[in-house]
Amino acid sequence: MLQYILKRVFIFIPTLIAITLLGFIISVNAPGDPVERMVRSSIEDNARSSNVVEEKRAWREKLGLDLPVFYFSLTSLSRPDTLYKIEDRNEREALDRLISIYGNWDAIQVYHQSLSKFYLSQLSFVADTNQLKEYDKNAVLETLNQLKFEASAIQGTYDKAVIDVKMIKITTLLSTYPFLEKFKLEFEMVKQNFSAIEKTGTSWKNYVPRIAFYGFKNQYHRWLFGDGKFSKGLLLHGDFGTSYVTRQPISDVIYSKIGWSFFFSMLSVLLAYLVSIPIGVRAAAKRGSRFDKSSSIVLFLLYSMPSFWLATLLLMTFSNTDALAWLPASGVKPALGYPDGASFWEMVKISFPYIILPAICYTYSSFAFLSRTMRVAMLDVVNQDYIRTARAKGLPENKVIWKHGFRNALLPIITVFANVFPAAIGGSVIIESIFTIPGMGSEAIYAIQTNNYPMIIAILTITGFLTLVGYLISDILYAIVDPRISYK
Amino acid sequence: MEEQKINNDFKKFAWKQFKQNKPAYYSYKILVFLIVLSVLSPIIATDQPLYCKYKGVSMFPAFSFSNSCDIKNEDGTVEKIQYDIAEWKQLDASTIIFAPVAYAPNKTDYNNADYVSPGSKQIFVDKEGNEKSMPTKFRHWLGTGKGGEDVLSGLINGTRISLSIGIISMLIASFLGIILGAMAGYFGDKKMQTSRGSFWTVLVGVVFAYYYGFSVRLYDIADAFADSGFAVLLQLIISLVIFSIVVFLFYILGKQIGKISFLSTRVFIPVDSIVSRLIEILISMPLLILIISISAIAKEKSMINLMVIIGLTAWTGIARLTRAEFLRISNLEYIQAAKSMGLKEFRIMFKHALPNALAPALVAIAFGVASAILIESALSFLGVGVPPTTVTWGSLLNAGREQFSAWWLVVFPGLAIFLTVTIYNLLGEGLRDALDPKLKK
Repeated sequence: MLQYILKRVFIFIPTLIAITLLGFIISVNAPGDPVERMVRSSIEDNARSSNVVEEKRAWREKLGLDLPVFYFSLTSLSRPDTLYKIEDRNEREALDRLISIYGNWDAIQVYHQSLSKFYLSQLSFVADTNQLKEYDKNAVLETLNQLKFEASAIQGTYDKAVIDVKMIKITTLLSTYPFLEKFKLEFEMVKQNFSAIEKTGTSWKNYVPRIAFYGFKNQYHRWLFGDGKFSKGLLLHGDFGTSYVTRQPISDVIYSKIGWSFFFSMLSVLLAYLVSIPIGVRAAAKRGSRFDKSSSIVLFLLYSMPSFWLATLLLMTFSNTDALAWLPASGVKPALGYPDGASFWEMVKISFPYIILPAICYTYSSFAFLSRTMRVAMLDVVNQDYIRTARAKGLPENKVIWKHGFRNALLPIITVFANVFPAAIGGSVIIESIFTIPGMGSEAIYAIQTNNYPMIIAILTITGFLTLVGYLISDILYAIVDPRISYK
Repeated sequence: MEEQKINNDFKKFAWKQFKQNKPAYYSYKILVFLIVLSVLSPIIATDQPLYCKYKGVSMFPAFSFSNSCDIKNEDGTVEKIQYDIAEWKQLDASTIIFAPVAYAPNKTDYNNADYVSPGSKQIFVDKEGNEKSMPTKFRHWLGTGKGGEDVLSGLINGTRISLSIGIISMLIASFLGIILGAMAGYFGDKKMQTSRGSFWTVLVGVVFAYYYGFSVRLYDIADAFADSGFAVLLQLIISLVIFSIVVFLFYILGKQIGKISFLSTRVFIPVDSIVSRLIEILISMPLLILIISISAIAKEKSMINLMVIIGLTAWTGIARLTRAEFLRISNLEYIQAAKSMGLKEFRIMFKHALPNALAPALVAIAFGVASAILIESALSFLGVGVPPTTVTWGSLLNAGREQFSAWWLVVFPGLAIFLTVTIYNLLGEGLRDALDPKLKK
């Protein structure tokens, strides 16, 4: 038995790795540059705009974005291994697209360096005051800003037509204002380098595949195992990284949220089993009776009923001031929290009305499914010879059903535990956001609305892991209940 | 000939069985009605009239592909009528025939804004600008939403969206599920064998095919995502064609390489293990959260994205059933006979085994459509699925959440989802009973 469990756990590992990989792929492909977001929000916080470049660099390092994505990558002969070192995401993509058009990294690199130099020298530009006497100070600043804007626009562009237009604009700017004289030479270099790209284009290199190896210093490895500095690693310490919204560690947020989700899914599974087993058994024992027929119809209808509709209908009926305002509409406790010094039972008492409606919605769909499964399983058993024998020797009907039949009908209902448990987790997304329960489901929706990708991936990975655990538990239960199966 | 006849007999028998199952048979009829309704929805529920005669010019706005019509006045000026924004109900036309539901799903009717209930008084402004009570043909039969959007029109157009997402995503899912399940069940771990040379060549070929099909065309595909759903589809099809061609070339090459003596050792491809592991990974992901995460990274929300995502994640059930069926069939005598006659494996699989393995897959597909519709409406309910301008059952229900006194916004769309899901579930049950030979009396 132990051996069997160990074996099952061992089979888990590749599946778990695949789940982390899938989550990781999704997060890498997410649109937008997280660094921009972090820097922007911290500027808002601290009201200082200097050292943006430094701060960006710090965040890149903190989020691990200064590393290559994976252990290896399928790339082309034209692409360098070091492209990931370009810091700005737009700039990087523009360069990559330039490569995919012209295929000569050497020339593109020269162009990129001259362009960066041109841009950086503008940042540190202090105009010669003697020369500036004839101009208004604001006008100078305005012109400089315009120049910077056009230059940074070129950095983020790959389309030749757009680049040409921007270049013409810069040329006119430079020739109109003599105090910009010193940029002229640098800009000529940029222009020359760009036309060199076009002349020496080797686009055939894009069609020759190549595999680049990066070793263990990559984002995925760091995500899983940590780097000993900013990230402790997912596998050993459960560190999921930093939330883009609150800039707190994601694991803290999840630990504070997972409790309610877990409570509701366990409660619903428990309730569903408690209600569905008697119904299913009774319906099967009296096959064709009125109870059987009516319960079948009701269960079937419940089974097809969308949970979000039922939830909305319940809210509309029982927590609507126009109809019946019996129960609170949202949350799991009063908005002001529990009174000071409330004991556990008082807290339960206060929270109870909040829990009723969500619990119904959580429970009913798996309850319908379970009852139907139970009924079918019991029907199979009831037609067996040994049940007939038990009846023939005069045992009371109750004993026949519950003692002889029930145990053998348990198998299918236990195996579907593996289906019920994940369904409870997945269903929580909808129900939690309707009832605003502070759990993982509503956090997932919030994360999606705010593009908080590390959170989305963390939730995906955790739910995947819990589902795997659900499968393991149902396998073990199966082994315990059915003595015919031996696990070696 | 004989085989054909037996086959027909079984179909007839199954159909008879199915017809006897009254709930399933009526569901089938309702489904046909819903499909007709959704196909015709652009001319059943639209604010553009079916026919209009205005200043002597005949127009068919609801049927027309162009969006405007120039009308010459007597004094020589040209009046341009734009079909989608014209105020048709106030137009001074000599003859005008409106659609049965004379409102577009997402268009506002300011006279009846702020949740007008189906039964209460509705206001209509006639050609002269007088307010009077709503004539019967323009009533909002199922009430209106916040901006005066007609609920019935939203429901009818929502039928099209729900059914097309359910059916198309299941087409994708059944294509994947049946092929993968059939291969896993038929070949198992020990039956698909090839030479070592051929195996490695094809494996390398897949890498090359991925490279030429997807890596090289990465930016073409990315740009298509910013463009439109059809552009995405086109680019993906081109990529898949390139992928298949490259794999095929390497397959031919592999055959030759496999003839070299030291590379000709036979190796087995564990198809079953690969497919089963893939299924295990997918079913351990909560489907809804997975779909939400994937649609979160799609730059544009579109129906086609949603269909593809649901299709790519929902094939596991179909694959498992098909696999089980193929496991059973591949040991039957007629398959052995076909093999001994030297027929090609793929021919046996798809021509001889598949027709007998389709029944359970068909049942799974019916249930699958139901759950795809549920997923779509749940996503629109949460506001993460289809684009916000598209009116679906889920988005109507979501609008009802803001104002509980507008019960018609909660009850009717929910009822529509519930009914459709029930119909598909009943159909699934009916099919299962009809196609199960054990029930043959």
